[in-house]
Amino acid sequence: MAFEVPKETTDSRIREVVLGTGDVKVGGENVLPFYLWEGEMPKRPLIAVEIYDDSPSDWAEAVAGPLSEVLSDPVAWAKKAQAEWGADLILLRLKSTDPKGDDKPGVEAAKTAAAVAEAVTIPVIVYGSEDVEKDGEVLKAVATACEGKNVVMGPAKEDNYKTIGAAALGYNQTVAAKSPIDVNLAKQLNILLSNLGVDVGKIIVDPTTGALGYGLEYTYSIMERFKIAALRQDDSMTQMPLLADVGTEAWKAKEAKAPAADEPQWGDEMKRGVLWEILTATSLLIAGADVIIMRHPEAIKTVRKVIDSLKG
Amino acid sequence: MEKVRVCFYPENRCIEVDKGENLLRAAMQADVHINASCGGEGYCGKCRVIIEKGEVTQKLAVKLSQEEVKRGYVLACSSTIESDVDVRVPIETQLGDKSALTRRPPIPLQGYTLTAKDWAERLPQWELNPPTTKFHLVLDKPTLEDNLSDAERIKRELSRLAGLKDVVIDYPMLQALPGLIRAASFDVTVTVLDRGQELRAVRIEKGDTSPRQAALAVDLGTTTVSVQLIDLQTGAVTAEASDYNGQISYGEDIITRIIYTTRSTGLAKLQSAAVGTIWNLIQQVVEQTSTEFCSITHLVVSGNTTMVHLLLGLDPRYIRVDPYIPVAQFFPWIKASNIGIRIASGVYLRCTPCVASYVGGDIVAGVLASGMFNSEKITLYIDIGTNGEIALGNKDWLMTCSCSAGPAFEGAGVKHGMRATRGAIEQVRINEVTHEPMIITVGNRRPVGICGSGLIDTLAELFLTGIMDERGKINTDLGTARVRKGDVGGEYVLAWADESGTNRDIVITDVDIDNLMRAKAAIYAGINILLEEVGMDITMVEEILIAGAFGRYLEIDKAIIIGLLPDVGTEKIKFVGNGSLLGSYLMALSKNLIEEADRIANMMTYLELSTSPKFMDQYVSALFFPHTEIQMFPTVMERLAEARERAKLGAAGGETA
Repeated sequence: MAFEVPKETTDSRIREVVLGTGDVKVGGENVLPFYLWEGEMPKRPLIAVEIYDDSPSDWAEAVAGPLSEVLSDPVAWAKKAQAEWGADLILLRLKSTDPKGDDKPGVEAAKTAAAVAEAVTIPVIVYGSEDVEKDGEVLKAVATACEGKNVVMGPAKEDNYKTIGAAALGYNQTVAAKSPIDVNLAKQLNILLSNLGVDVGKIIVDPTTGALGYGLEYTYSIMERFKIAALRQDDSMTQMPLLADVGTEAWKAKEAKAPAADEPQWGDEMKRGVLWEILTATSLLIAGADVIIMRHPEAIKTVRKVIDSLKG
Repeated sequence: MEKVRVCFYPENRCIEVDKGENLLRAAMQADVHINASCGGEGYCGKCRVIIEKGEVTQKLAVKLSQEEVKRGYVLACSSTIESDVDVRVPIETQLGDKSALTRRPPIPLQGYTLTAKDWAERLPQWELNPPTTKFHLVLDKPTLEDNLSDAERIKRELSRLAGLKDVVIDYPMLQALPGLIRAASFDVTVTVLDRGQELRAVRIEKGDTSPRQAALAVDLGTTTVSVQLIDLQTGAVTAEASDYNGQISYGEDIITRIIYTTRSTGLAKLQSAAVGTIWNLIQQVVEQTSTEFCSITHLVVSGNTTMVHLLLGLDPRYIRVDPYIPVAQFFPWIKASNIGIRIASGVYLRCTPCVASYVGGDIVAGVLASGMFNSEKITLYIDIGTNGEIALGNKDWLMTCSCSAGPAFEGAGVKHGMRATRGAIEQVRINEVTHEPMIITVGNRRPVGICGSGLIDTLAELFLTGIMDERGKINTDLGTARVRKGDVGGEYVLAWADESGTNRDIVITDVDIDNLMRAKAAIYAGINILLEEVGMDITMVEEILIAGAFGRYLEIDKAIIIGLLPDVGTEKIKFVGNGSLLGSYLMALSKNLIEEADRIANMMTYLELSTSPKFMDQYVSALFFPHTEIQMFPTVMERLAEARERAKLGAAGGETA
């Protein structure tokens, strides 16, 4: 008798979340990541290309170099990401609003968000500076400015979910809910948001990302547990698509950005960071990320190929 | 007790209560909201209602005008129900609550408390046969022919009278012997202690003192100490007193106290603090009943392992460090005076045996008192104290674990927390629409603080009314003065300064709620891990017994709403009261049970939670109201949905009114 691969099937599914106003959707799978012999993964994991609204000055040359033309122009950056690198989504980080930096008012940053959303035809995710206080104000302005665009806004955290959730609710946007690497805390935030009135089908979970060498295994196991709870235990508060914030985290690693002059034994600095980003992204795809935020054009292209080959 | 029927209008809700019940308490029981802020002292004058039919007696009515009295107004808090009555709650007392909104009929209000009848069934081993007995002896006077020594003469008489063989006479008694028996003309009373392996004559008194014999039961808790005085003739508790453990000033938790003992005189100081607390309580119970100190013949003390070590002056330092080893598990009968409890000569003390470093004699005493070691039923016993201790099993097996819950439910670490003594808020209702509270205090005094049952009620009501969210944070944007930003985040005012007994606002704060949430999460996580360890889930548990010093009005359904107890139906849950004290009481009266306690301590298997990797996960999951796994709390979700619906209706009704 021929060997038959044992199958574990389930009636549970990750919710399909509509991004933007077109037909882009994420989630919907009824299997663990890429277990395509057991079920289906109707939507491929999406790559969100990360852009900043203030020209980032502290990026490693390896990544700042290829982006130098667009670094100071978020609209051009977003357009290029869509046209040339095959971005599925744009993630706009409103760093200019950071109270520890330029501390620009939310209304002003929201104009950039609206301009970016207008300039591309793919859906947009808008993140604040991750200052709990300030993000409330900033994202309220974003929700208003981007009305009708169904942007994903966040990250909503335990201490500002009310403001951000209410703004998303009022202007019919989607929410990214972020919690510090813990399945329970992620679930709790989903419950809080849904009690606030946010539709569970309009929530994406950002479980906090650790890059390769910096807690990747924690994120991996949290994502994996989240998917197992969603699919095997039919736990409705874990059936949200997952987002992995790879670009920022991978390029924070000293192994990714240290110049070859400082660390000659680590090899070519122009390749090292790209590989760091690719490895982090690939691992988290296998862990269950439905949206991957990425930075370097070469890394994006490679990970896209990985998704293609895994998706078959 | 004669029952009477009380009907509240316009709610149109009727309940049966004992004749003589307080009217405000009856309203609480019927879940009819009446504004009440002063705990039932009759001071705030807010709980005015109209008696339309029937009879109540009113203590005083200074807050009512002549006109109002004529129209049938009374203050609910100072009214005693004398017959079937119809009560109308006037609109101003409801504060705009729309009568059309029906609240779910109250689920078991006081929980199910075990009664004396249950004990007979659960503890067939129990009999009134205390470990010490007084024998009145009229000795033959010695002669040249009958020239036995004084000691042998007493032993002969004990053998003749009571069949006692081989009684050992305590050395101090020997010293007193010659003078005393002659001064008493050979008419004496001898107290004999049955230590299990040996009979020991421990005290001799002049004349016949045998009718006067008492014992003490002591619950030595980390936070609270309770003492009962027991009449050994009848088995009745004649007085009871409790107080905070004097050791608290050396540290709130046992770890800090163990560390303190490593200082030069630390152990002696902690021992003397515990002895001092117990001694004060002994004085109180003795004074309350005008008992003579010398009628007390023994004490049974139950406490956690560390508390017992500290009381006995045993070095507890190895309890704290891996692999967590106590000095002893079983403790001999010792002279109370050896540790500084000087009640009378020859008073002996016995500490209930412990299971492990973090499961002590308090839980052994509780398991004994609960009778679960006799039961076929799978029983879960939960002692909610400073350490939440949990036992699971039946007559064939017992598993136990301990989780560090902290003293929040005993009122410590909570801004206005207190023990269940006079003036403690013990029952609370909050109106969903107006957010006004209805409170009752122990002894119907102006409130001075909140006790365990009041804290559980407060949390449940804050949660159901949406004043507090699932994370335990108070919403300060509700447009009522009852919620406000305090020094440490949000707070809710249960009683205003001018209604309180302390002239300060009585509040519950975000920080209090956080402490209570941690306590409940530790306990709930412990329950889950213990069940998981034996491959069971909560539905397989046939009976859940709750112990703890909550006061009389612990409401089981409220404890479920906050996720302290599993949502498995209130009919399975029974309340034991202070299990440690009850066990001590039973053992003080029955030497059979002292032997049983040894057997139970040997039978219990201890599970160390600190080595369980799942504990943290379960704990974080429980740090949420009622719990992150909301599907495990179906009735709570229903009640929450209903409460939200009522609040919505009420708010809408309020706008149109």
